[in-house]
Amino acid sequence: MEAIGRQVRLPMGTAMQIALQGIKIRLGRALVTISGVVLGIAFLMNVLAGSHISTAMKKNEDLQMKEDMMVSLVKMQIENPKHQQIAVLAVGPVTDYERKAIVTLYKIGLRIRADGLQIPGLKLEPAKLPALTAGAEVVLVIGQGDDCPIPPNILTHGMKQPVILDSKDTTQGERTYAGKPYSIPVTSGIRRELFFGKRMADEKTKIEKRTQQQKFRNFWIVTISLLVTIIGIANAMLMSVTERFKEIGTMKCLGALSGFIRRLFLIESAVIGVVGSVVGVLIGILFPMVLYSFAYGFKNVFSAVSYGHLGVSSLECLIAGTILSVVAAIYPATIAARMIPAMALRTNV
Amino acid sequence: MSVPTLDLEALFDTGGTSGQGEYVIRAVDVKKEFRSGENVTHALRGATLDIFRGEYISIMGPSGSGKTTFFNAIGGLSKPTSGKVYIDQVDIAQLDPYELAWLRCRKVGYIFQSFNLIQVMSCLENVTLPMAFAGVSSEDARDKGMEILKKVGLEDRALHKPAEMSGGQQQRVAIARALANNPAILLADEPTGNLDLHTGEEIIELFARLRDELGVTVVTATHDLKMLKMSDRIVWIEDGLIKRVSTADEMDIKVEEIH
Repeated sequence: MEAIGRQVRLPMGTAMQIALQGIKIRLGRALVTISGVVLGIAFLMNVLAGSHISTAMKKNEDLQMKEDMMVSLVKMQIENPKHQQIAVLAVGPVTDYERKAIVTLYKIGLRIRADGLQIPGLKLEPAKLPALTAGAEVVLVIGQGDDCPIPPNILTHGMKQPVILDSKDTTQGERTYAGKPYSIPVTSGIRRELFFGKRMADEKTKIEKRTQQQKFRNFWIVTISLLVTIIGIANAMLMSVTERFKEIGTMKCLGALSGFIRRLFLIESAVIGVVGSVVGVLIGILFPMVLYSFAYGFKNVFSAVSYGHLGVSSLECLIAGTILSVVAAIYPATIAARMIPAMALRTNV
Repeated sequence: MSVPTLDLEALFDTGGTSGQGEYVIRAVDVKKEFRSGENVTHALRGATLDIFRGEYISIMGPSGSGKTTFFNAIGGLSKPTSGKVYIDQVDIAQLDPYELAWLRCRKVGYIFQSFNLIQVMSCLENVTLPMAFAGVSSEDARDKGMEILKKVGLEDRALHKPAEMSGGQQQRVAIARALANNPAILLADEPTGNLDLHTGEEIIELFARLRDELGVTVVTATHDLKMLKMSDRIVWIEDGLIKRVSTADEMDIKVEEIH
């Protein structure tokens, strides 16, 4: 007589092989389950990718708007731009939109004397005070540095009408002049205007609040859609378990451990989750890309969007889809694992 | 003769012989109850039976007699409410799930009325599956699988799927699968139930041959009279009790009486 031994756990590879065979033969059912995952994950990815793209496009639009505002404000100060002269003083790092605005101003025919700014392809006249502002219509203080080292009265020395236009974005802090906040007695006649003042800041917070609300709404819709996906997978897996009661019972009669049966269903669900998520992510990226391309142009969308952010979101969606599928399969897999082997003898199942 | 336990003790001295290895299955006063709410169904009311090594036993009884319950109990497929079942002298009630799986894998080969082949697998894969569960390497399993398929006369159909084969062929694959890990016992539940007369006869002959060649113990639950003729003993179950145990010779008379 041989002593009773303990059944060995099978290597993962064997379970994987049998699970994949199961999916292959029941491809129709698997495809239906997979399409459920595809829809859920495509929706999640669509929302994420859409927000990435719209953020990128909004940033572009924002910059364009800032550039336009600078140009139009300068134009308002000068009646006839031809043969007129302006002075530009760069303080700290100069942003792209400021540079673009200077280019546009140059192109409409203004002569530009500049201190601390060079733009390749433009003939800016380098100059220092007092030559910088002598005879200029306006002086533009650009760049996002906090302190302009020259006080207003010296800066506007020799100008017909002392006007300072400042492109400091005040949402990032006010500009000081020679260490002091801008304050000049009205009698001195110096006028200073900000390109991006309080109105701009208000607009910005309003938009931010709206996007916050939008995000919250999206979050709920996505959560509900993912719950529906989980229930769909669980339902499909339960059906699959019921359908295979006899097969599971037979395997148990042949010596399969409960853990092996459980693993079989979890692997099957994980495979469904991975395949479904990959397809879902692809659809979820392509759909908003094409949609935004209609509105903003193909090139703009593809050059503006951050592929790093898209990659991270794709990975998140893949992981989410796989985990959701496995979680959804836990209950059906447990039912399958708990089945008694005598079920295999039932002929009416 | 009305008290089954006494009857059995008279026929085969059940006392004091354990530990000698001549019994491959011993069922002692097996009772099984099924509860659903308030109702208690007594499927088995105390069945005692010893099965010798190398015996061909048929279990008979009308449906609802407890025949299937008894069959499941001695096959280690379900645990009795009370009483003991020994398979190869091991009390199966004492086994944990790992040991039970080990026992089902190596000691017992199960054969089903509806064959229960795994449809997604080829014949050979069906036969090698129990060996995979037993941890046999896939190459050894393939060689052994082909050898067993040859024994049941299906070596040229090894790569076919069950759906491509006739009922008799499928049942022979199922028998090959049951033999995969050299079990001591073949448990067959209505093995000819889904087969026509001629094919059924072939399967019965195969069982008899396997018993003679391999020395396996064959236990079948059946209504098939042809099966009864081949059996060494026939166990009659009625109302959850073993009513009678007859030998094949006694049966011959009975079968002729029926005809």
